[in-house]
Amino acid sequence: MPDTAHEQPQQRQFYPYTENGGTILAIAGADFTVIAGDTRQSEGYSIQTRYAPKVFRLTERAVLAVNGFAADGNMFVKKVKQRLEWYRHAHAKEMPLRAIARLIQTMLYAQRFFPYYVNNILGGIEEDGSGAVYSFDPVGSYEREACRAAGAASSLVQPFLDNQIYFKNQTPAPGTPHPTYLPLPDVLAIVIDSFTSATERHIEVGDGLEMYVVLAKGRSIEELADVAGVQELTTRADGDRMFVIQRELKKD
Amino acid sequence: MDHFPTNWGRPRNELHDQYNTYPIHQRPSQPKDVFGEGVQRTQQPIVTGTSVLAIKFKDGIMMAADNLASYGSLARFKDIQRLHPVGTSTIIGASGDMSDFQYLQHTLDELMVDEFTNGDGHELGPAEVHEYLSRVMYGRRSKLNPLWNSLLVGGLQDGKPFLAYVDLLGTTYSASSIATGYGSYIAIPILRAAVDNKENTLTEEDARKLLHECMRVLYYRDARSLDKYQIGIVTSAGVSVSDAIKLETNWDFAEGIRGYGAQTQ
Amino acid sequence: MSIMEYNGGSVIAMVGKDCVAIASDLRLGNQALGIASDFEKIFPMTDRVYLGLPGLATDVTTLREQFRYRLNMYTIKEEREIEPETFAHLVSSTLYERRFGPYFIEPVMAGLQRLPNGGYKPFIAATDLIGCINFAKDFVVAGTASSKLFGVAEGLWEPDLEPEDLFETIAQTLLNAVDRDAYSGWGAVVHVITKDKAIKRVLKGRMD
Repeated sequence: MPDTAHEQPQQRQFYPYTENGGTILAIAGADFTVIAGDTRQSEGYSIQTRYAPKVFRLTERAVLAVNGFAADGNMFVKKVKQRLEWYRHAHAKEMPLRAIARLIQTMLYAQRFFPYYVNNILGGIEEDGSGAVYSFDPVGSYEREACRAAGAASSLVQPFLDNQIYFKNQTPAPGTPHPTYLPLPDVLAIVIDSFTSATERHIEVGDGLEMYVVLAKGRSIEELADVAGVQELTTRADGDRMFVIQRELKKD
Repeated sequence: MDHFPTNWGRPRNELHDQYNTYPIHQRPSQPKDVFGEGVQRTQQPIVTGTSVLAIKFKDGIMMAADNLASYGSLARFKDIQRLHPVGTSTIIGASGDMSDFQYLQHTLDELMVDEFTNGDGHELGPAEVHEYLSRVMYGRRSKLNPLWNSLLVGGLQDGKPFLAYVDLLGTTYSASSIATGYGSYIAIPILRAAVDNKENTLTEEDARKLLHECMRVLYYRDARSLDKYQIGIVTSAGVSVSDAIKLETNWDFAEGIRGYGAQTQ
Repeated sequence: MSIMEYNGGSVIAMVGKDCVAIASDLRLGNQALGIASDFEKIFPMTDRVYLGLPGLATDVTTLREQFRYRLNMYTIKEEREIEPETFAHLVSSTLYERRFGPYFIEPVMAGLQRLPNGGYKPFIAATDLIGCINFAKDFVVAGTASSKLFGVAEGLWEPDLEPEDLFETIAQTLLNAVDRDAYSGWGAVVHVITKDKAIKRVLKGRMD
């Protein structure tokens, strides 16, 4: 029998994860939500592609942004969409936003000991017609918020949002309190500024910007009329409406 | 669950088995799974192929890969084909472990036969092949037993050029020029400069020249490459993989460099 | 745990129209434990040159004394005060002397450079811990909140801000950045330097 006592167990474990860069962001208004993400996909210092979407339409009124390990992200979105289709067939209606949020938490926690390496942000319109953003950690902890940034440049963007959306560290002039929700054009401007800033200072952010806008039923679309590059995705009249806006970002 | 009853503990007294009729099994030498040692999953690539390059052009897609399969730094097999036609509108190209790739070739060929025998007139295009491969690759990585490859899938999908990537982690993307391995550092800058925004004007001849030049650059700089390569093309005329093409190279520059060319002093 | 994050703290400097501003938080910590909320990291080198020293607290003190000594020697020898650009090179060479056993400090400088015509030009600069200088035209940041400072500053800063607007911009940038950093905060201090005066304002901030 060969003497194997001295042999060290030598093995380089296969590491099943990687990071693919990029950043996502969502902001809720009173009766609308904006969900955005850049379109660069990278690994290390290499840009793999300049167009790989990270933001996905789930239902008439729900949009999911996924950031982190792209393979896990795409698979997770695929499975969420499948669960939503099953729900549609079983109940003859679309799953409401807060239920999708709970579904996502359950699906993420199911993988507690081999997690999806992704940060999720779910945005859309709630059953009461209000704009909503839900953000998740990789194992399913979640919270409803007014705004959230996640991904590679989240540390650059989130404090900017605290200042511009929550008016943190700002004192209102007497008798003019800060607004609870911002109007749509202001929100779009903040989203675009956030991404141009992140592109300037973070190498994994850039190439393209994709912004989904979900408007509550009956809301005026006037504010989107003169925005460049808008495309409507609404499939059913007399419901909530959905739009996507595409912008270029610096490619260096 | 331990399926050997004798390991559950002997009966407390002879009342239960007075004449000792209860069979006494050979106790297993290992209390754990006896086949555990035989299962090998975490692995490393053994016989490997280097870069694959691919671009979209006016009439379809073009792919290039050299004919070398290396065993570490040894140029082990110099007549290996790394481009594989699938059906009538798809080509896949592989870098990484060649045995894993050949396993995938068999799997795909079997899949195409299964689809053909359905006799429904449908055939899998590059989008379907890529989706299938990405599921297989992601599935294997999720079992921590990956197929150690970076694969390019190219072809014509509904008359339009299709080009996409999938690797051992299940990572996927698509772009108008893609390269694996050293090609992603060395060839991609050249390919992007020539292809981006010109996908609809680049001719087959331009594309062929471009890939030829990139394969030459790679042969100069990638120590695991070979000066013999093949080109795969998918157009509306169908799929074809060329005969081996020889690269002409000129190493005169090395003459004056000490430790590279002939010793000068 | 990195030694650069041992005590925490952040500094930022910005250029305005004929003025500069430099600001820092006031926290001194021992890893996650807060120790003091009055630990200033910005020191006047001359009337027109300010130096911020975020990083390891023991090196903050050492370098402050080191620069006081070297500046005195310069002033005696040259019989004039140092200009900010010259000072940046003094900082750089002082740090590079310790190239293979560095001080764990990333200095940030702000000042007004005297011009031949008698006017002043805003000047800011920062270096890494071994003295690689970054002469920026807009803003420089350093410390444990640097990535946050970059993000907010990139969004809020604009060219040619008047002193009061520059103060508001740098104060908002710092406050909102350090509120998202566990190792910075506990109050802040802002210096705005113009050709005829330097204003120091101590700001209240979140104490959590």
